[in-house]
Amino acid sequence: MTEHEDVRELLAAWAFGALDAADADRVRPHLAGCESCAAEAERLRETVRLLDGPPIGGLPARPATGLPPALLARRPTAPRTAAHAACYAAAVQALRALLPEAEGRWATPVVHDWDVHATVAHLLAADEALAGRLGIPARVPETVLPQDMRWEEAWARRTADVIAHEHARTPGETVASWAGQADALLATPEARDPELAARAELLMGLRLPVADHFAVRAFETWIHTDDIGRALGLVVPPPPEPHLDQLVRLAVRVLGLALGPEATPVLFSVTDGEEWVLGSSAEPVAAELTLDPVDFCLLMGGRTAPEEVPRGATGDAAAVRNVLEAAASLAWL
Amino acid sequence: MESTGEVPSNPAADEELHRRLVYGDESALAEVYAAYLPLVRRIAVRVTRTPGAAEDVAQEVFAQLWSRPYAYDPGRGTLRTWLSLLAHRRAVDWVRGEARHRKHAHADDDALRTVPEPGPGPDETVVDRERSLLLHSALAELPEPQREVVHLAYFAGRTYRQAAVELGIPEGTAKSRLRTALRSLAETLADPPDPARARGA
Repeated sequence: MTEHEDVRELLAAWAFGALDAADADRVRPHLAGCESCAAEAERLRETVRLLDGPPIGGLPARPATGLPPALLARRPTAPRTAAHAACYAAAVQALRALLPEAEGRWATPVVHDWDVHATVAHLLAADEALAGRLGIPARVPETVLPQDMRWEEAWARRTADVIAHEHARTPGETVASWAGQADALLATPEARDPELAARAELLMGLRLPVADHFAVRAFETWIHTDDIGRALGLVVPPPPEPHLDQLVRLAVRVLGLALGPEATPVLFSVTDGEEWVLGSSAEPVAAELTLDPVDFCLLMGGRTAPEEVPRGATGDAAAVRNVLEAAASLAWL
Repeated sequence: MESTGEVPSNPAADEELHRRLVYGDESALAEVYAAYLPLVRRIAVRVTRTPGAAEDVAQEVFAQLWSRPYAYDPGRGTLRTWLSLLAHRRAVDWVRGEARHRKHAHADDDALRTVPEPGPGPDETVVDRERSLLLHSALAELPEPQREVVHLAYFAGRTYRQAAVELGIPEGTAKSRLRTALRSLAETLADPPDPARARGA
């Protein structure tokens, strides 16, 4: 390329003032000696000058001072909770912000045979169990179930009833019910007081402190938000670091319980995070397994298959497989 | 344009900010607001030429990010570019709306008359304002890849080399996109489109 062609290529950047000093030093002498480039440069710079417009007078200097309350108010404020419920409050915020994107697309298939509307209805049903224990009345007429029914079946029946009930209403009404129940959960004394949240409750086959049940609600809300995002073609980022850690610790605890004290011990860790020995504490560790924290959650949530999840593994392959399969088998979402 | 002195863009940092915005973290909005309000205001003022309207446009841009955070996808570009394009688009829309409104209110007015600034300016200033608006309208219609480079070079004070890095494109591509963009803007002036159409009427 000749110097002339080279400089000509730079003239638009020059006109925008977008050249570094070295480039500008090449343009200047060429323009002094090349009439056609000088004319082109003048034409382009005049265009930029016209884009600038005449000087704008009388502008007050406005420093950026804090967030205007009216701006913050454009989104419902997350209720203040204790740390154990903050992950659920944040997950509710993330789903609430996603649902306006579903406008006009409520019938988009999401997971199982649920569309977006039904997925929100499912969350209304799923949050209801904890809500009930914390004294919040159900928003959908009761489903009469036999006392001795297994929790998985009761859960599925209730979800089916709530979805049928909600499909007779508008998506907006279902969203309002789900969000109203979530807000009520976050306004309970148990959401604000760690001591009250230390009491154990048996829900969905898991006997856990209420604090952990809030984390279970956060986990399920996130997984379904991610489901809806995928269906709508939108990327849902994973929960912020401290919340993700909380979900990982919960998932490890549940996985440890499911494996039981007899399983061949595996040293399990999440990338750049904590490590735990899963299985028997009486034997030496037979294998090591490392998963990305988000992948681990997606495995526990049934969104990644055990044979496909990216992993770092050494040692006894059967022991590793046992852990991965146990994790996947816990998915109820 | 004046130098900006704003934070450098960093895709990992944008991704983390977006994650916190999605999960409703008000401190993430405060960080974005402090970092990008000057840029967003500068663009809105340049296009609307009306401080009050510019402030409304700026608030609307951040309200959009806060209330509809999924509209921004950090995998597709930096937050700076996204806010910059949105501010410009909203400001051009405001001016078009204003022009339409004025046209309806004063059907006999010269359709080319643009939004008045406080106090009457000399004729030359009025003509320059019209041309500026015409150019901003044309800029808003350029293909997005061209618009992104123009925004970084013109509004955000980046060299074309820095813009190339920020957009993840070769320097030669940034250079030629600037050239194509500025030439089509120059041609808009040489051969102005039907003013009614340019204002979205």
